[in-house]
Amino acid sequence: MLKCVHKTISVGVATLVLTSISAFAFDGKKDAVDGGMTYPRKDGVYTAYRYNDQKVPPISFGRKATPNELKAWNTDIMPDGTGLPKGKGTVGEGDELFEEQCAVCHGDFGAGGLGYPTLTGGDIASLTNQRTPGKTDAPKRTIGTYWPKASTLLWYIHDAMPYAHPKSLTWDETYAITAYLLATNEIQLDGKDMDDDTVLSNENFLKIKMPNEKGFIPNIDGPNGVKNVKAFLSDGKNIGAVGVRCMKDCKDDGAKLVVVKDPRTDVTPPFAEVKDLPKKKDNSVKPGQEEYEKSCAVCHGNDKMGAPDVGNKEAWAKVMKKGIDKVLATAIKGTGAMPPRGGSSYSDEKLKQIIEYMYSKSK
Amino acid sequence: MKKIDKPSTNDSSLVSNKSSRRDFFRKAAVYSASAVAASSLLSPVKLLAEGKDDEFIMEEQPWATSLGYELNKNPYGVPSPYEHNVVRRTTPLLSSAGDMHAAVSLTPLQDLKGIITPNGLFFTRTHNGVARIDYNKHRLMIHGMVKKPIVLTMDEIKRYPSESVIHFLECPSNGAAEWKTPQFDSLQFVKGMMSCTEWTGVRLKTILEDVGVDPKALWMLAEGGDGSSMSRTVPVEKVMDDAMIVYAMNGEALREEQGYPVRLLLPGWEANLCVKWLKRLEFGDKPWYCKEETSKYTTLLPTGKAIQHFYPLEVNSIITSPCPEKPWTDLKKGDIVEIEGLAWSGKGTITHVDISFDGGKNWVEAKLKGLVLPKAWTRFSYIYKYEGKELMLESRATDDSGDTQPTVNQEKKIMGVEGVYHRNSINTWYVKANGEVHNAQMRS
Repeated sequence: MLKCVHKTISVGVATLVLTSISAFAFDGKKDAVDGGMTYPRKDGVYTAYRYNDQKVPPISFGRKATPNELKAWNTDIMPDGTGLPKGKGTVGEGDELFEEQCAVCHGDFGAGGLGYPTLTGGDIASLTNQRTPGKTDAPKRTIGTYWPKASTLLWYIHDAMPYAHPKSLTWDETYAITAYLLATNEIQLDGKDMDDDTVLSNENFLKIKMPNEKGFIPNIDGPNGVKNVKAFLSDGKNIGAVGVRCMKDCKDDGAKLVVVKDPRTDVTPPFAEVKDLPKKKDNSVKPGQEEYEKSCAVCHGNDKMGAPDVGNKEAWAKVMKKGIDKVLATAIKGTGAMPPRGGSSYSDEKLKQIIEYMYSKSK
Repeated sequence: MKKIDKPSTNDSSLVSNKSSRRDFFRKAAVYSASAVAASSLLSPVKLLAEGKDDEFIMEEQPWATSLGYELNKNPYGVPSPYEHNVVRRTTPLLSSAGDMHAAVSLTPLQDLKGIITPNGLFFTRTHNGVARIDYNKHRLMIHGMVKKPIVLTMDEIKRYPSESVIHFLECPSNGAAEWKTPQFDSLQFVKGMMSCTEWTGVRLKTILEDVGVDPKALWMLAEGGDGSSMSRTVPVEKVMDDAMIVYAMNGEALREEQGYPVRLLLPGWEANLCVKWLKRLEFGDKPWYCKEETSKYTTLLPTGKAIQHFYPLEVNSIITSPCPEKPWTDLKKGDIVEIEGLAWSGKGTITHVDISFDGGKNWVEAKLKGLVLPKAWTRFSYIYKYEGKELMLESRATDDSGDTQPTVNQEKKIMGVEGVYHRNSINTWYVKANGEVHNAQMRS
């Protein structure tokens, strides 16, 4: 790639005298795993920085992790089955759980449409779609068309979902939801279609075949995985790193000026560059506000989730017609997609404050 | 509009003496005017014509004729209230359904100077909200293919010899809204998913010398302590090169949005790989296939294949002045003006930045200024005589790995328009004859 720089030609005013690259670059070498530069750490100097190069023995802080601590935290699951926990669940059980705990964000059957990730639908052929002028079909990146590994699904659902109450699902529940998502994506288990009674467990988990497993480059598996990445990233043609430092009469075939049309203005706070004093506003936090924002706004903050959305006068008038005590009782018990106390451990008193806060913002 | 140029009198939050009734009305007038102006951009303050006395020179101003506020009013200092518009901004487009727990806030690059981003303006991306971690209860576990699996407290991490380095962090989605066509008319939203900080922490290698990593280990899993347990797989080769775990930025503890109390720093690489709220590092000989390196943070190509493990943010640059937020509408023909901008590369050090006025046909070399550091923002400058003509203003950076920014067409030809991540093609500002600046692209 050195030649790229040396290709530089004369500029109108003066011919550039090119110093060798290393003079700019702290004696770097182009041998990093990302295809870029590494720089030597030598005699207390690293690029423009000095560092302390006193010779010291390995420094030992902390203490050995106990077997129980390792067990508690080492909960990742790898594609080869390393870390697969014991558990099982059926597609049918997963269906019920999904409807209760997941559909509120991901839509019925995981079909999306609520602003959160779409989990099902589409086909692999769509991945070559490019929305260039005149073409409106987007590539569909769902579990069935895109995700390379089933282990990712099980691990991620257990650690990070449901969104507002991560790590609240048992492993049996996680297997069930995973089974359901695989089934709705028409993914096969052990060469067979999955139906309501299909059981997914640690016993048969490795028999899932993900449709787009081979859809990713470079190959990162095996002893040469890192080498493959390095070779791939080092070749600019693979990653669009093909710029040329042309200085005069440069050609860019067909390029025309495209100026932004109807620019987006839906930003918060609104665009402003004025140097003035802020408008005075009431910054005091109302009782229940903080808890509402932390635990309730995910579902009640917009109208897409089906929950009475804060700010919606009509919806809240209807809710409050029942009287605060009944509304509080429902919040304590949970209703529809809403878990008891909205999944929180707030006291009755706090819940009441939150409801009153939500109502006050919806009058 | 003239009212706004005039600083308000006796703001009670600033000045300790009592406001008069007259002052109150004058202040109210200023406030309401600013509310109207807030939706638009304001030209710089202009002096009266030649020979006319300026009232702000001729009359004593309230800040000169009264006591200022007590110096201990803000034990932790805050910017002047006149700078209240210099803030991070969000948009529902870069979120799920407008939900600000999994979204991104962008840095106001148009208002930044030098190469350091103030901590309160550092761009923020979270997948499950900003975790509030108790410093005293936080632990870092290092295990897997190592001789001695260990756990460390924060205070123990800080006992290791520290280093401070200046590096940018950039979300690989920076500019992702612009793959198909320009969408925002704003520097902040075109390139604001990045910031640059002096980080302090310990080189991971220093800790690992004690832990003893198995030479057969190829990969390291980094896992965060937030609700999403954000995790990524990193090659050990990078870990042993320049990876750090950092607990301070610009001299103070990490902000919660940046991973308090500790995060991974992989200089030059996707900010997503620099796992925040870091709780666990595991070494192994196979990659983990985390969610954020499979379903997301993979770059779909027109062939239908997607690039995985696409680490470095490639060479890039942007002109920060002028820009849509800071136009040249106040300039007259013949005025001398500095064109300024930022260049950066995750693969090395910036060596050249060139400027084009004609949409990339002809280029002149800009000057680099200030510190020129690897994997850090680098300022460039070009002094220009304003001619009041229409311009297609571009900057193009080159780094010491030999990479030069591609044109939109060059990048599009290989990467297509659906890849989401790693967009680094040349940006165009369309400068109208009246000095307005609009976001644009040279593309076919």
